[in-house]
Amino acid sequence: MKKLIPLLFLGLAAIGLMLLLNACDDGKADSGPSPQTGTGGSMARFAIAENSLYIVSKQSLEVYDINDAANPTKAVTKNMGFGIETIFPYQKNLFIGAMDGMYIYDNAKPNAPVLLSKYTHVFSCDPVVVQGRYAYVTLRAGVTCRTGTAFSSLDVVDISDPAKPQLVGSHRMDSPYGLGVSGNKLFVCEGDKGFRMMDISDPKVPIQKHFFHEVPAYDVIVRNNQLIVTGKGGLYQYKYGDSDSLEYLSKIPVL
Amino acid sequence: MKRTLLLSCLTLLILSCYPRDSEPFVGNVKFDGTGYRPVYKNPDEISKVEVQAAQALKTPGKIYTFDRFLFINELGKGIHIIDNTDPKKPENLSFVSILGNYDIAVKDNWLYADNFSNLLVIDIANPKVPKVVKSIPNAIPVHNYPPLQGIYFECADEKKGVVVDWEKVDMAKQPKCYR
Repeated sequence: MKKLIPLLFLGLAAIGLMLLLNACDDGKADSGPSPQTGTGGSMARFAIAENSLYIVSKQSLEVYDINDAANPTKAVTKNMGFGIETIFPYQKNLFIGAMDGMYIYDNAKPNAPVLLSKYTHVFSCDPVVVQGRYAYVTLRAGVTCRTGTAFSSLDVVDISDPAKPQLVGSHRMDSPYGLGVSGNKLFVCEGDKGFRMMDISDPKVPIQKHFFHEVPAYDVIVRNNQLIVTGKGGLYQYKYGDSDSLEYLSKIPVL
Repeated sequence: MKRTLLLSCLTLLILSCYPRDSEPFVGNVKFDGTGYRPVYKNPDEISKVEVQAAQALKTPGKIYTFDRFLFINELGKGIHIIDNTDPKKPENLSFVSILGNYDIAVKDNWLYADNFSNLLVIDIANPKVPKVVKSIPNAIPVHNYPPLQGIYFECADEKKGVVVDWEKVDMAKQPKCYR
């Protein structure tokens, strides 16, 4: 019995921590929706946070006020560098994937985002997702992306201070496209090669659990233990639990 | 002596303002007889949005979920609207044909979609019969050059329409634009 007491305490502490984390999360933990808006994948150039619609063009961030949803009005344009590719809102920040790095904007005033920092990396194509204090960025080497002898990777970046993002780990990938994170799972699309399921119980150190080669994967949405993957073969849906296996639900094929 | 120096400096300065036709644009790549030509469409053709019966996926792009619905972009062509109430049996409801569409986002019953540089607002209160209620022109900055580098291309001319694509063709003469 005595042996169990510390365990009990640990359990309680863990539950407390989870509650705490969830509380500051306003529902975004599952790269997910506030009630009245939806969820996109990591490759998105469109995103909604509260009553703002964000659109990234190749070199700017366009902000539209959608308080009156049927009549978007331009709030502001933020000119950015070049090669802007994706946008991912998370809590009070916007994470913008560009060919030469990741921009972090403070989004406390949704209609007037303020640039906080830029995490610069080698030239590549790179969406980003965020959970808790870590951002996961894939860097894809390729003809129009990262050139030369560089390889593709999945970078883990500590963003607990969004003004000072810090690289904490880099993992080699094949040709990563979109990615999705929820709870202790990270899914990385590898184009025609399939997709990876990784365990992030330690969020700094993703560990590959499975590489599903049979499903070409371009982008993914993960939420409520459900996984939606699209690629050349069509759209696949799976369910998953705590184990490292996926339960196939359905497929909308490409015809 | 000073005067000669000043004079030659001035001459150089003036000369530097002259356009140098002989070496247009500073590409490090030599013109190889091919270049990119804009493919134009007229604005009416582009802004035509149609709601059609459900269609099979061909080249699916980005995905978006909202409530019990799934939206799947058909690259450059439009949006498949899927009822995903039962993820084991998703039901394909309709297809909204939108040229130049790659992205989607939804708030309440309003779907936002790109249509080249236009931003569309679509009422999806009845997802079987979506309705375009608004098109905001020039909402999304687009480039009037091909998405490639180290290439020659025919400069885009707004008067000819909206550039919807670039095609690589043989060119007798080196075109004026390079990037």
